[in-house]
Amino acid sequence: MLAAVDVAFGYRGAPVGRGVTCAVAAGEVLCLLGPNGGGKTTLLKTLLGLIPAQGGAITIDGQALAGFSRPDLARRLGYVPQAHNAFFPFTVRDVVLMGRAARVGLFSAPSARDRDAAHAALHTLGIDHLADRTYTTISGGERQMALIARALAQEPAILVMDEPTANLDFGNQTRVLEQIGRLAAQGLGILLSTHDPDHAFACADRVALLQGGHLIALGLPRETLTADMLRRLYGVDVAVTYLTDVGRYVCTPSFNRSRGKTI
Amino acid sequence: MTVRDRPSIGRDRVVGAWDRAGIWVAPVVLVAVVVLSFGIGKYPISLADFAAAIVGRMTGQPAAIDPTIDTVLWQVRLPRVLAGLAVGAALAAAGATYQGLFRNPLVSPDILGVSAGASLGAVLGIFLSLPVLLIQLLAFIGGLAAVALVYAVGAAIRTRDPILVLVLAGVAVGALLTACLSLVKVLADPYNQLPAITYWLLGSLAAVTRGDLASILPALAIGFVPIILLRWRMNLMTLGDEEARALGVDTSRLRALFIAGATLITAAAVSITGVIGWIGLLIPHIARMLVGPDFGRVLLASVMLGGGYLVGIDALARSIAAMETPLGILTAALGAPFFLYLLATTRKGWE
Amino acid sequence: MIWRFCLVLMLAGLLAFSIAIDATAQTRAVVDGAGRTIQIPQRINRVLAAGPPASVLVYTLAPELMVGWVREPPPEEKAYLAAPYRDLPAHGRLTGRGNTANIESILALKPDLIIDVGSTDATYVSLADRVQQQTGIPYLLLDGTIGKTADVYRMFGKIVGREDRAETLARYAEATMQGIRRRIDPVPVERRPGVYYGRGPRGLETGMAGSINLEVLEAVGARNVAAGAGRGGLMTVSLEQILGWNPDVILALEPAFYRDVAHSPLWSAIKAVRERRIYRTPTLPYGWFDSPPGANRLIGMRWLATLLYPDIFTEDLRQATRDYYSQFYHIQLTDSSLDALLRDALSPPP
Repeated sequence: MLAAVDVAFGYRGAPVGRGVTCAVAAGEVLCLLGPNGGGKTTLLKTLLGLIPAQGGAITIDGQALAGFSRPDLARRLGYVPQAHNAFFPFTVRDVVLMGRAARVGLFSAPSARDRDAAHAALHTLGIDHLADRTYTTISGGERQMALIARALAQEPAILVMDEPTANLDFGNQTRVLEQIGRLAAQGLGILLSTHDPDHAFACADRVALLQGGHLIALGLPRETLTADMLRRLYGVDVAVTYLTDVGRYVCTPSFNRSRGKTI
Repeated sequence: MTVRDRPSIGRDRVVGAWDRAGIWVAPVVLVAVVVLSFGIGKYPISLADFAAAIVGRMTGQPAAIDPTIDTVLWQVRLPRVLAGLAVGAALAAAGATYQGLFRNPLVSPDILGVSAGASLGAVLGIFLSLPVLLIQLLAFIGGLAAVALVYAVGAAIRTRDPILVLVLAGVAVGALLTACLSLVKVLADPYNQLPAITYWLLGSLAAVTRGDLASILPALAIGFVPIILLRWRMNLMTLGDEEARALGVDTSRLRALFIAGATLITAAAVSITGVIGWIGLLIPHIARMLVGPDFGRVLLASVMLGGGYLVGIDALARSIAAMETPLGILTAALGAPFFLYLLATTRKGWE
Repeated sequence: MIWRFCLVLMLAGLLAFSIAIDATAQTRAVVDGAGRTIQIPQRINRVLAAGPPASVLVYTLAPELMVGWVREPPPEEKAYLAAPYRDLPAHGRLTGRGNTANIESILALKPDLIIDVGSTDATYVSLADRVQQQTGIPYLLLDGTIGKTADVYRMFGKIVGREDRAETLARYAEATMQGIRRRIDPVPVERRPGVYYGRGPRGLETGMAGSINLEVLEAVGARNVAAGAGRGGLMTVSLEQILGWNPDVILALEPAFYRDVAHSPLWSAIKAVRERRIYRTPTLPYGWFDSPPGANRLIGMRWLATLLYPDIFTEDLRQATRDYYSQFYHIQLTDSSLDALLRDALSPPP
């Protein structure tokens, strides 16, 4: 379980936010929502220990984050950044294998057991067919899947994902969100940031709204993601309603078609 | 498959085929070049004498040939070939290491100033009229000191991008050292010292002895150890600082180890031959094209190709003209056009 | 079995014995200019010069022992060198002097010994030792300063078995230097002309006090105007400094500088230019002034003495030059080649 209590975060000389208290437990999906520039990525990196916190306490299973060594931390927390281009043409198998770094000795190379774990990660996500493809030649969606597999190969307890659906097309977004649901069902705790409130409804157990570096709300999606809250967060009007066809709440913007008049 | 998927299976197959063939190119080229190079030289040796000398050395009995042939083969050519292998391998390995650390194909081992420092050390030694052994030692220490300075500066400045700070510090320190170097050249005696300085800066295996080779072997061994042992981890370093740390890699410690190892082997190599450029830049590039991006294989291929390339260039240097051609000239003259050709025709190594 | 073993042992012993006999019979120990004791063959037939000053030494003393030149002499130099030596092959500089020599080529020339004239400091000692160890050829260092010229001739003469000739050349060197010294000493310092020696196409490179390039000036008692800038080697100066020094005489190395300085408005304020005391140092086959810094400078000393103190040195320079070239360079100078040699050296540009 990853817990943050009254965390202040930011870069040296440039604080971004404070007073953040939230937690992610095993099997739970916590969705971090907020506008661009609101500090989502900075908060995630702070929770991952990549940036030192400027105040407050972050604990993993009760122990302070700062007390963990890098490899120790990597065995518990898996980071999935946004899919990006790479410099070197590694195969997807190599990329996923890199996730085993925390479990391979300092001077060793991956063993058969590590290769099995990588293979299992690929299988869990259903992307075995990508194993021998070059990372730099596959699509954005496939790359995102590869990075998730890499994080899974770490055999973490918690996955931290930074806008995993950004830059993906409609179909891939859906697939990734479905995958998140499945992973949580298998017992992983997942913390992800997203800019689309509907995604929160699709997969989150709880949402946290981050604006200007402060958590303005934290709770169940249907209680937290109200039209008022979202107007406050994004400055646009949305409609939230339960759709029986898909069996969940959905959120969609009510586009203002008449110029100059607010509805 | 979505619309975004590119039809790239054909390319992958080509990469695979290259992989299999590429593994054999390096060792074969190496052996061929070494054997040829041993047979090339300005001293005329007939094939029969050559064979007799080798047999004589292997069986331990003196061969019935002109003793000068013995001198030429074992005191002049053999140290050159062995030194060429060692220095070429060291420079190529250091280049591969730096290109991985800095995630940039245009990086050479000189980026952190090791060549500038070693040059200044050697030139000071020549200027102060010290014996050759001390000149080599000063070159070695100069190279290490320059990188230590750059690293200290880089570590003292805390930023989000440690790589960029290292590069900039390297540029600045390198410029400072080069300025000092120019100053010493102006002050040097034009008859006795300046020609020696100029020639040292151009790189040469001409007067390399077995003693020289033995003196750098410890440094080479110590420097290679971390690079070889940490070869899989280098793949992780190419992901960038944040991602690597998130995967559990202690990037600053690893970076320090890699830089230390690469600097040791470069400084050791430069201390006996002077500055030889282009090998650290070009060879790892070619190696990557042949065997793929995994650092373990790139390292092995670089070492073999680098050693073979330098031995081959050296064979040219001592046979194409009546005088010795400095190695730096040849490696640049051959390396630069080939590099341009690579840039123009292939992007396989870097996507 | 046993007798076969004994036979081998006997043969090995004979071989070792003969090698030992060989060694003691054919080498002797000499001490070179750096104080190193070196074993050299009894008879020296082939000598290799490691750099230009050594080339001068060997060519002047015993050209029949030369195996080659450090670099191929261009046609204008060959005109002043004796056949057949002028057509010997070039082999490059060795180690400290620029390291352009291919060691295998050196070995292929099969020299009995390598001679190097110039610096004898620790760098050169260790370089000499290295080459010696690698090739097995004895490598001797000799001091190149002008004051040691006579001693070096004698030392080298003894090494190669040309003592008589060495003695002749050494005596010439001593007579030249001591003779000049003796006649210059009474001249008070104020009467000694200030000389500026300009190298390079613009004449802005000169030597500081004690620089090996200006040893000739100091040997003839002239005042190096640049000595005020300190001790050291070569340096580039500015026109301002030269105007400040206001030399009485300007010596030029390059023809371009020699021609331009007489007409340049920038230099016109200098005393030497106003009085048209501008001369060019002859350079064929070897520089008379500094290039290379070897025994070739002896004639330069006589020339400079005649130039700067014409009332004290009244000998015929033309005859002295003819004698020198005949004795040292083994050629007889015709009138026209003598004219060509001395024209710019004795008169300012037109």
